[in-house]
Amino acid sequence: MTATTQARPPAPSPVLAFLKQPLVVALALIVALLLLGEALSPGFASAQQILRLLIVAALLGIVAAGQNLVILGGREGIDLSVGGVISLSAIIAGNVMNGADSGILPAIVACIIAGGLIGLFNGLGVTLLRIPPLVMTLGMLGVLQGLLVVVRNGIPSGLAAPGLSQFVTRPFLLGLPGIIWLWVAIGLLMAFMLTRTVYGHRIYAIGSNEQAAYMAGVPVKAVRISLFMLSGVFAAIAGICLLGYSGSSFANVGEQYMLPSIIAVVFGGTPLAGGKGGYTGTMAGALLLVILQGILTTVHIDESGRQMVFGATLLLLMLFYGRGRAMRG
Amino acid sequence: MSKIELRGVSKAYGATLALRRGDLSIDAGEVHVLIGSNGSGKSTLCKILAGSVRPDGGEILIDGKPVTITGPRSARDHGIGIFYQELSLAGHRTVSENICLSDMPVTRAGFVDRDALEARAARYVALFASVAGDGFSADTTVENLRADQRQLVEIMKALATEAPVIIFDEPTSALDRAQVDRFFEILRDLKAEGRSIIFISHRMDEIFAIGDRVTVIRDGETVGTERIADTNPAAVIRLMVGTQDELAPTNGAPHATAVARTFVLTLQNLSGKGFANVSFEVAKGEILGFGGLHGQGQSSVLRAIFGVNPVASGEIVLGGKTYAASNPREAIRRGLAYVSGDRGRDGVISGRPILENVTPIHYLRQKLRLARPAALADRVRPALEALHTKFGGLGHPINSLSGGNQQKIVIARWLIDRPDVLLLDDPTKGIDLSAKTDLFALIRKLAAEGMGIVLYSSEDAELLNNADRILVFNGGSVRRELTGADRTRYNLYQAAYEAA
Repeated sequence: MTATTQARPPAPSPVLAFLKQPLVVALALIVALLLLGEALSPGFASAQQILRLLIVAALLGIVAAGQNLVILGGREGIDLSVGGVISLSAIIAGNVMNGADSGILPAIVACIIAGGLIGLFNGLGVTLLRIPPLVMTLGMLGVLQGLLVVVRNGIPSGLAAPGLSQFVTRPFLLGLPGIIWLWVAIGLLMAFMLTRTVYGHRIYAIGSNEQAAYMAGVPVKAVRISLFMLSGVFAAIAGICLLGYSGSSFANVGEQYMLPSIIAVVFGGTPLAGGKGGYTGTMAGALLLVILQGILTTVHIDESGRQMVFGATLLLLMLFYGRGRAMRG
Repeated sequence: MSKIELRGVSKAYGATLALRRGDLSIDAGEVHVLIGSNGSGKSTLCKILAGSVRPDGGEILIDGKPVTITGPRSARDHGIGIFYQELSLAGHRTVSENICLSDMPVTRAGFVDRDALEARAARYVALFASVAGDGFSADTTVENLRADQRQLVEIMKALATEAPVIIFDEPTSALDRAQVDRFFEILRDLKAEGRSIIFISHRMDEIFAIGDRVTVIRDGETVGTERIADTNPAAVIRLMVGTQDELAPTNGAPHATAVARTFVLTLQNLSGKGFANVSFEVAKGEILGFGGLHGQGQSSVLRAIFGVNPVASGEIVLGGKTYAASNPREAIRRGLAYVSGDRGRDGVISGRPILENVTPIHYLRQKLRLARPAALADRVRPALEALHTKFGGLGHPINSLSGGNQQKIVIARWLIDRPDVLLLDDPTKGIDLSAKTDLFALIRKLAAEGMGIVLYSSEDAELLNNADRILVFNGGSVRRELTGADRTRYNLYQAAYEAA
């Protein structure tokens, strides 16, 4: 009963400890998957291809940053509306800039406001009306999908400005396009925020024990609302980048990011219950998923098949997490 | 021959011995009262009989034959029914359905036999028809009932078991006078039928009104059984007290009697859910104790002061200014601190590092934005050392520590930026002896340094040894104030068991 006896498990060998780090495992998996892709289809791991994979991973990773925050905040936090926000943002951006570089800044402002507002509604619904996040954000997704159909009737519209397309696709620094650097910057910012700011500590606190956090003076509702707003903003930024990647946009361009954004988070070591994990793992998760997607495409598995594989992956991950919990208990 | 007999029954939870040697003998056709202070083991004894807890040792005899009660179902089969103190009703179902919940009548096809169900329930509803009050009928949904009406349904549910032995664990806490009288009439009828009742109550007047015999349990041991007709309340309380520390040590607390007392916290007629008209003042450097039986409003008052529960009426003055907090955040900003005994629910941020478990209050009081680990560690370490906390590193998860050390970490939160008033809500629940010793050493030190402290403890010894004054709570209000040489176990129990 007295104290620290169980404080620290016996230290394993440093090499083994290093190999067991989730990040090391993820990197090893990434290399293995690239080699597998190369074996299946020579040229898969070429510099050109890897760059393309990185761009797609950055798009997914930016969405997953917001998803990650909402999930970390706990109480079944999840944001299913990100797909709708991405589509909406891509359409707003395309129509505001309409092919002109001068329109980039107004487009960014408009998209971030739209994403933030949608997140605000999600957050208010979840905290003040106590609607479960799953239901709230699914409802929001439905509203956004309907809105997009009404507004654009599913016809592609809007045009990316050349500057935006260059930012996403053309090399900018050290041979990598701007979007990769943006992703790296977001990664650094997220890591700093989660570990070195009071706000970050509060996110973990409400995610791991909301009642205790409340009793310790954490503004639980405000923090949770802000998480949903950040998720909306990140999805909006991803929507702008997606426009730059594909040149124009159509109504449901963002939907394919919803499920992978959740898988990337869980893959990266943040359990759906929240309260622990972080963004570095999520970045690795996003990379892994995109490479997996590439391999599936290479072996001619179409979109529906890929979705099935993703869904099964998520279930498999949950199964492992469930086992982990049972073993800890 | 006794209907039920327990011989030397024992039960330990981990290292805590909840029941050392439980002896009990219940005759057919009697109301047998069980009495004992907080944590004496009487609930454990009832749980063993009801089958929800398996004993570690001892013998249970029913009608002279040894039996093993393996679970609630098996208790029923042995003819034992129970009334649950913590409400066990299904809120969305009707009164009738709840009454028959544990034994639904079914048709031959296996469906619920509604006619039989309603006929059976109607018999029990009719028993209380004259006292149940407005809006009560067999087909009312339970969630639409008042607290006293729900308690009546619980009683009906226990009666509907038709068991030869029924355990009633504090069945009258929410009932009014007329309802209690009616309930006692029914109990006398059951007695006349030759059935046995085990009755637990904290109201001395009720015990003497309905009981035939009383068994006193102290520190997990049966210390005596008396015929109610041959004893009196004072004698029963003396049995509960025993010969141990008849008088509380003075603990040399001169600050309690100091002439110039500055009040840091004053309550005037504060009322809210679970408590009414509570008034007191806490002086700088004083330890004010809250005593009495479990759940008599002590916790509710503390949580209301801290802004967790709403205040209905009355006034709080904090540091000379009127104060009202609608959430803990405001309370903390105003210099209040609150430590809950339920650390799993209210305290520990599980899975997070020790550092993050100590810093939240510091963040709030200092309005910090950035969390610099090195600077924080310099503040966190002294706070942990003040409590002799044993930990590996500040980065280790709090779950890696023992319960006592976890609670120390939760308390250390309040030591970086000192509050003016510290509210302790049964803070030593489930922690080891050495942690308790460290904790009370710190509490006395904080008081000596001028902090005002309110201590609610369900362990009477902790109160008697540490509090300068003790307010004894009973039924949601302060029944008695014990100061100086009056702070004895006897006085504490007497006020706690006094009639409402």
